Amino acid sequence: MAETEEKQSAGNIVMVTEGGAIPNPHEFHLINAWSISLTLALTSLFALCIIWPEPYLRILFYLPDGIVVTFQITLLSICFAVPIGFITGIGRISQNRCIKLIASTYVEIIRGIPLLVQLFYIYYALSRFFQVSGIASAVTAISICYGAYMGEVFRAGIAAIPRGQTEASRSLGFNRFQTMAYVILPQAMRTILPPVGNECIAMLKDTALVSIMAVPDIMQRARSFVGTTYLYFETYTVIALVYLVITLLLSKAVSIMEAKLNYYDRKSR
Amino acid sequence: MMKGFFAKIAIALIAVFCFQINASAAEKYVVASDCTWPPFELLDAKKQPTGYSIDFLRAVAKEAGFTVDNRNVAWDGIFGGVATGKYDIVASSTTITPERQKQFDFSDPYFEIVQAVILPTGKTIKSLAELKGLRVGGQIATTGIFVVRDANVGAQLKEYDDVGLAIQDLIGGRLDAVVCDDPVAKYYANKKKDSMGKIHIALQTQDKEYFGFTVKKGRRDLVEKLNKSIKLVREKGIEAALIKKWMGE
Repeated sequence: MAETEEKQSAGNIVMVTEGGAIPNPHEFHLINAWSISLTLALTSLFALCIIWPEPYLRILFYLPDGIVVTFQITLLSICFAVPIGFITGIGRISQNRCIKLIASTYVEIIRGIPLLVQLFYIYYALSRFFQVSGIASAVTAISICYGAYMGEVFRAGIAAIPRGQTEASRSLGFNRFQTMAYVILPQAMRTILPPVGNECIAMLKDTALVSIMAVPDIMQRARSFVGTTYLYFETYTVIALVYLVITLLLSKAVSIMEAKLNYYDRKSR
Repeated sequence: MMKGFFAKIAIALIAVFCFQINASAAEKYVVASDCTWPPFELLDAKKQPTGYSIDFLRAVAKEAGFTVDNRNVAWDGIFGGVATGKYDIVASSTTITPERQKQFDFSDPYFEIVQAVILPTGKTIKSLAELKGLRVGGQIATTGIFVVRDANVGAQLKEYDDVGLAIQDLIGGRLDAVVCDDPVAKYYANKKKDSMGKIHIALQTQDKEYFGFTVKKGRRDLVEKLNKSIKLVREKGIEAALIKKWMGE
């Protein structure tokens, strides 16, 4: 009894991030928090559009190009943030003191500055030296910011692999690179990918900030719709529901991925 | 003893409450302005709202015998705030448009403007149609944006939170043109140190727009009060003095 308790507490990692709550992949009940939220969001969205097509349907039809921009920024940012995070994570556990310091300093600095300030800084403050488009600055700022967050996830994931794995691998004749590439990383990926997915969802939500740089994402489409119609309640209700549906679907995708990665864990349970 | 104590507190509370009722009878209106629209609304060195609209409303308030409590409010929430009663009056260069009149009540016009297209110095256009394909900036949900959108000339519209940021992007080269009210354009082109000389007004539209003080739909009492005093401010020559003060020559 005491032994199992110890085992359980050893494996517990408290992770609170701002991403969507990832549904438990082993939860097979039809009614759970995720399905209730999604059903509520979708039914209220459809109900509003059917009962009052004016203005709700009009608002919904005003959004698609904004959704495209939001996804564009999110996907591009993921493409850059994940490699940045990976390099940072590796750097943080590097044996080379210099690399370790650089990576740690980067994480410290970036994590201490609000994303909104970083966006303003890259778009408006640095425009004195070079000019980049709104979307390019958005992607840069979000990638740099989330690269630092993800660096921590990668570091924690790699550090969680027992030291014995490295020792065994090294004694079998693998060099440090081979150990990392063939032994540590494939195992670490299983723990790393779900929180990375979670960070990506948080990233999608944070793209709402880019509307301050005149980038026409979902949020800005909403604001400019409100600006002509003054329908604050209706517009922001639709926007909230649209964001909710998108993040719920994505968190389900992350959850499915998590289940696939932990295939053997489930078998052994 | 305790009873007496509570009674005293109750009396004190009632007194305060009555005083508040009296205070509201002396009429203090909360006035919202988005202070990013010089020379109509801006912040002074002490971060207090100032500018033509604000001075004008203060003069109106003096005539009408109410006091004002000025607040600096972001533009794209300003109409929502007046609709829900967070503030009584919006003094923020709001053009009276039919769409806005459906949702809000307006005072009589207190200023007349046209829209101005600002270009970098050296570039010219002859009509809005020449904005086709260009990156045109403006402040989100302002009539400048509406004019370009309604002209439907195929310009690439970029909506900023603040016209000053759009001007900065125009100078930096990330925009080809900025559209805003002509006095604001003149302020940035002729008065503001960072932008003076780098940009100029290339085009002014023909359609005149009129600014009105915005109040919640149905506040006819307030509208009448404002209208009566706007007339007085005009007759007493205060308006002319304010124009001279804020627009210069």
